[in-house]
Amino acid sequence: MSVFFPHLCQSKLLSLMIGLSLLTLSSQSLADEREQAKRIHDRIAGVPPSATVLDDMAADILAGRVEDAAYTAMDHTAFYDVTLKNLAAPWTNEAMTSFVPLNDYTATVIGLVRDEADFRTVLYGNVLYEGDGSLGLTPYSVQNNAHYEELEAGGYSLKDNLVSVAQSTRLGIPASATAGVMTTRASAQAFMIDGTNRALFRFTVLNHLCNDMEQLNDTSLPSDRIRQDVSRSPGGDSRIFMNNCIGCHNGMDPLTQAFAYYNYDYDPDTDPDGQNGRMVYNDAGMLDAFTGSRVQKKYRINANNFEYGYITEDDRWDNYWRSGRNQLLGWDNSLSGSGSGAKSMGQELAHSEAFASCQVKKVFKAVCLRNPVDATDRNQVAQITSSFQSNGYRLKQVFAETAAYCMGD
Amino acid sequence: MRKFIETRTMPVLFILLISFLLSACGADSGADNQQNVNPRKDNNSAGTYKGPVANGADAQNFKISLWDNIVLPGRCVDCHNSLSNGQAPLFADFANVNTAYAAANTIVNLNDPATSRLVTKVGEGHNCWLNSDTACVDILTRFIQNWAGDSAGTAKEIVLRAPQIKDPGATKTFPADSSDFSNTVYPLLTQYCSDCHVEGIQTPFLASANVDAAYEAAKSRIDLEVPAASRLVIRLRNDFHNCWDGNCATSSQEMETAINTFVNGLSTEAVDPNLVNSKALTLLGDGLFANSGGRFEDNIIALYEFKEGKGDTANDTSATEPALKLSLRGNVKWVGGWGIQIGPAYTDMETNTSYPNGKAQGSTFDSKKLHDKIKATGEYSLEAWVVPSNVSQENARIMTYSGSSEARNFTLGQSLYNYEVLHRSSTTDQNSVFATADADQRLQASLQHVVVTFAPGQGRKIYVNGQFTGDVDPQPAGNLSEWDDTYAFVLGNETDSNSLWQGTLRMVAIHNRALTESQIQQNFEVGVGEKFFLLFSVSHLIDTAEPNNADDFIIFQASQLDSYSYLFTEPYFISLNETPELNNIPLKGLRLGINGKLAPVAQSFQTVDMTLDNSLYDSSTGQSISRLGTLIAIQKGAASDEFFLSFEQIGSHTNVIVEATPSPSAPVDLPEAADIGLKTFDEVNVSMSVMTGVATTHSGVQTTFEKVKQQLPSVENIDGFLSAHQMAMTQLAIQYCDALVEDTTLRGSFFAGFNFNESANTAFDTDGRNQIISPLLSRFVGSNLTSQPADLEVETELNSLIDKLNACANTSSCDAQRTPTIVKASCAAVLGSATTLIQ
Repeated sequence: MSVFFPHLCQSKLLSLMIGLSLLTLSSQSLADEREQAKRIHDRIAGVPPSATVLDDMAADILAGRVEDAAYTAMDHTAFYDVTLKNLAAPWTNEAMTSFVPLNDYTATVIGLVRDEADFRTVLYGNVLYEGDGSLGLTPYSVQNNAHYEELEAGGYSLKDNLVSVAQSTRLGIPASATAGVMTTRASAQAFMIDGTNRALFRFTVLNHLCNDMEQLNDTSLPSDRIRQDVSRSPGGDSRIFMNNCIGCHNGMDPLTQAFAYYNYDYDPDTDPDGQNGRMVYNDAGMLDAFTGSRVQKKYRINANNFEYGYITEDDRWDNYWRSGRNQLLGWDNSLSGSGSGAKSMGQELAHSEAFASCQVKKVFKAVCLRNPVDATDRNQVAQITSSFQSNGYRLKQVFAETAAYCMGD
Repeated sequence: MRKFIETRTMPVLFILLISFLLSACGADSGADNQQNVNPRKDNNSAGTYKGPVANGADAQNFKISLWDNIVLPGRCVDCHNSLSNGQAPLFADFANVNTAYAAANTIVNLNDPATSRLVTKVGEGHNCWLNSDTACVDILTRFIQNWAGDSAGTAKEIVLRAPQIKDPGATKTFPADSSDFSNTVYPLLTQYCSDCHVEGIQTPFLASANVDAAYEAAKSRIDLEVPAASRLVIRLRNDFHNCWDGNCATSSQEMETAINTFVNGLSTEAVDPNLVNSKALTLLGDGLFANSGGRFEDNIIALYEFKEGKGDTANDTSATEPALKLSLRGNVKWVGGWGIQIGPAYTDMETNTSYPNGKAQGSTFDSKKLHDKIKATGEYSLEAWVVPSNVSQENARIMTYSGSSEARNFTLGQSLYNYEVLHRSSTTDQNSVFATADADQRLQASLQHVVVTFAPGQGRKIYVNGQFTGDVDPQPAGNLSEWDDTYAFVLGNETDSNSLWQGTLRMVAIHNRALTESQIQQNFEVGVGEKFFLLFSVSHLIDTAEPNNADDFIIFQASQLDSYSYLFTEPYFISLNETPELNNIPLKGLRLGINGKLAPVAQSFQTVDMTLDNSLYDSSTGQSISRLGTLIAIQKGAASDEFFLSFEQIGSHTNVIVEATPSPSAPVDLPEAADIGLKTFDEVNVSMSVMTGVATTHSGVQTTFEKVKQQLPSVENIDGFLSAHQMAMTQLAIQYCDALVEDTTLRGSFFAGFNFNESANTAFDTDGRNQIISPLLSRFVGSNLTSQPADLEVETELNSLIDKLNACANTSSCDAQRTPTIVKASCAAVLGSATTLIQ
């Protein structure tokens, strides 16, 4: 359908819109419960409330039931279709952009929040969310994202149409090899494609522990697990390794070993972006031709960069960050700090204080539209984190408590 | 006592325990070198030998391999020659080769040519004919190897000797509290580094508001032994990293002074008495030379090992005359552990001296050797150990034998991740490139062994780290008949200096045969650089049989990896007792120490947790501790740095290392942020859908949204609002309002009572306007919300807009479409405004 306004008319419109914008901005003032209700709805659902909903929420707030008002806002499908989708979408790609189609990673995050599941399972559960079969969509495929793109393009409510399935049944991997969103197809396409699987670890820590490698740099840890492909004298200058590279790889490599049996298989000639590729996992008895073991070839590439480096023999992981300054991430003392495979490593990450705190910080940013800036904000984040941990790690509650904090005076 | 041990790079180790007292004695220690005379200055026809023929095959080998080379003017013949009343031994006698042969036999060791007195004497400084004693040593060794028939690449036995037994020396250590630091170095860090190196911005947190945290971060970057070598100083002085006041020289000096003040305030302390340590060693003083040879060099015609370490000449030690020595020009630096580093042009700010792009170049006269010897066989191999500085350089010459950038016999170069080969043959364009495949990314910015071979039957092949790359020469092989003998051999650049290659060369060799894959693999396995064995005595810690003998060792192979670090690899335990008693001796937490302190970084053996036991011990090879290697930063230099091992547990000795508990960083307040923000693209889209009742799946809306969504806000930050966002909002609002007004059902519900079929000449009377404006206010703006504009203000604006758009009514000239158009415009004006955008 062609749009009809003559140019002159559009100019007048734009002037008027800007004028209205100024009116709006200049009229920000003290908010009462209606303002608070609108803000909560805007921030949680991303859309304005209907008059009825606004009245209802305002009444709750007036009665001191602020969190009830927030849950009312979470009843709107836009909370799932817009807010949660755009919260999770940047976690699913290296560019960290929201401008990506709906995928199984994003849908699984939305589903876990909707069903008030223990959100820690996002990194180790045998869980996947997909569109309800009654919608008649192209079924889930390990080799493309068509199912989710149709679900999104059809404008279906993600609140009403996501169903939970066992990830292992969809991806064709053992239940023991599932690790929440880390082993979804979208995650594999984004982070297991080419490379060394370190990207999967880095972006998982970045998105779910809110720390990039730079912030976790600790040169004091043992370097025995750094693989052969890391040059100890990049460009002939070992100072670079000794002062920079080592500080990340000493902790990252022994944890990333958990992904040693995973890869993303695609045809780089006909499908350079891997749109039609699939995640592969070497189950017991499946040997990689290059390594002669279950370990993927990517774990042994560029071995001559430093022949005395670590050779990956299996998927045993060890958390060296339980020592040194990164013990401040708050690891779960009931776990051993080592294990085999992605599932237990995902649990190690998800059971940390940093994981819980990170989820709260992300929600804080989404709802308050800013990062915590001062002691008051930080104390509130700590309080909500504590509540998150003691109430079953339900993310909806984090939204509700955060919305109450940022609803305005 | 002798033991033979197999290792990969050292096929046979011959262990011999010799008292360190004996090791100080040389065969003729105390003898002065004598002044050279030139006995042949009166015998200038000496180019022709007129004496008897060599008597026997071995004497003939001697003549060809050694004698012919040392009777050249300026060499041994100048003294050790009866024709000039020279000095004994007359191993270079020009009157009688058999006399020379007999004398030579008394000063050579054909089983281990490098230990020949003829060689070691020159190594001690005795009249080398070149500017480098090591070059003469290597050349003489090779002459003797050739005589011995040892040129086929046989690895030699290496004799391991017990080192002098000594304890780790006293040293300075970091004080436990940060008070000294806080008064010396810390003020500089907080003043100049706090914009970045604080919590929340960038590690290391050297300028943390928490001085203890800053102190912890700074420790590994302060060198207590050599303050000028501190990372904090080097980053300023050499890397020009964010110097203050625009002057890196003064900034670095200020930092060095502060560190000196800090260090001077520390007293020298004995090694931490709690540590359980081995005995101590230095690399050059106590290390046993571990280069066992074994390279295949039968057809070598030029060889550069860069052992000189100083000066402006890299000698050709191939022992193939004439020597093709290379002049080092521009930015070329010697690299520790053998090598040269070639870099770009720069100006030394201290001396105000400019240096052009680096290169190492031979004369065209000397370079002709390559032409002559390669053309004679029609084959060649180019071999190098390289460390490219980066993988971003192109048109970069690693080695070339050329006349200009477009005229060559051969070139090995780099282009990004690829090795490139160009050469002149009867079938190839000298400038056409044969390269490794892009996708393979063969070239890495790390130490690599690269070989290019050419033979008429097989063309060119490229081998990286001992493996054929599989790349096929696209051109027929041809032959080398068209080679030009007027070119120059150059490393790291083109003859015109315009094709710089940045990187380090650890060795370069030219062969006049195409090496086979197995020969290349053999040379790769031998490795490169100067290597040592370090025998750390642990006899005082574990008692395997004879407690009074220093006969239990943990042995590392050690070398200089580059100019900044040592490489320690593959530790193993061995006892010189024939039958050591190893009964589950625990060995745990092995750490490397340097100059009295544990190395702060890269303790790869810290996780060792094993037992020494007879069941795992082999009397020839000992018991492996690890196959790994690690680095230790150089502090004072290879001659002075003293190493030791430390253990958490070895035998009955334990030292439980208690890790310090890190303190959380002090949080930093961020600038106050806006309490409101923008709706992002999806929120805008769905908000408009919710407000108008038009589905997001409406085809026109969907098309417009896909077109403008990346132009809509992607983050909530209101400071990031752009005019482009407003343009996108406008387009999307217009599309939604168009869909709303064009849908009779929707518009009937939304604008209840308004007659869209009525002419604009009359439709926008008071009632009509109210039927439009009221729903826009209630549906788009909301009621009783002080954060939204007041109804009256919006009404005024909308009436003004309608007045302008409906001017045709004044002359009753409005067309049929004017009515819906005005409604759409009024709708879009509100929908596309901040009432929707702001949250």
